Amino acid sequence: MAYKRHQNKGESPKLDMTPMIDVVFQLLIFFVVTLKQEDILSKLDAARPAASTDERVKEQQQQLINVIVAPQGFIFNGRPMRIQELDRSIERLSGYSKTAMVIIKCTSDSPHAFLIQVLDVCYKHGMTNLSIFSM
Amino acid sequence: MAKEYAQCEIDMTPMIDVVFQLIIFFVVTMKMNQDSNQDIVLEDGKSGQILTADSMPPTTLEIEVDRRGRISIHNATLTERNLRDILRARINKHGNEFPVLIRGDRRAMHEKVRKVMDICTSSGLWKLSFVAVEEHKKRGSK
Repeated sequence: MAYKRHQNKGESPKLDMTPMIDVVFQLLIFFVVTLKQEDILSKLDAARPAASTDERVKEQQQQLINVIVAPQGFIFNGRPMRIQELDRSIERLSGYSKTAMVIIKCTSDSPHAFLIQVLDVCYKHGMTNLSIFSM
Repeated sequence: MAKEYAQCEIDMTPMIDVVFQLIIFFVVTMKMNQDSNQDIVLEDGKSGQILTADSMPPTTLEIEVDRRGRISIHNATLTERNLRDILRARINKHGNEFPVLIRGDRRAMHEKVRKVMDICTSSGLWKLSFVAVEEHKKRGSK
């Protein structure tokens, strides 16, 4: 008697949902586990002048801000500094001129993280005329 | 068996359609994520311009430098000579105005990153950008 109700439906008889629900849950769990949210990235622009511009750079020495990136930390105006002190110094200098050229000299054994920190500090205070030299 | 499911008269077709759509969507989007070297740990840079897919033109070249100094593009390892050839081919095609992003590991020595910068400079690309992390979202990173 129970079958009578379904006879008019005809073309799709009972479908077993269980395996499908199983599969869907498996997929759901898989994607939840593998999903990893991407970091939001930022970019820091800098120029890398060719070696031939060295002489021109020397002429305008007075407008330059020199930062040396060493393996232990930073050297600014001949004084070793930590990033917080450098941050304050750059902030002070950015009050005078934001277009002054910042020359970042990196020693080859300094970690890349330090260079990024200096670039970040310069960006924070609006200094955009940045050049990276390697030594 | 038949009696237990006697009430069930749902048309499965749209559901199967939706499930397949979802599967295809996730497969396609997941492949995108693994296009770059996931081992590279980036330094924080909260002041930089935020990188979005819209702000970068399709000609953008992203060069990766991992902590040991391995150079790669889209996670394919390159020698210095390969990189030089790729840059030359690109400059011939697009001019030297396309943005170059250097994705350097924070633990990499400057020497290794310098190598990439030197190759770019000698190829005629002076404007370089470094990638940093604006905001950490990844679970369990750092």
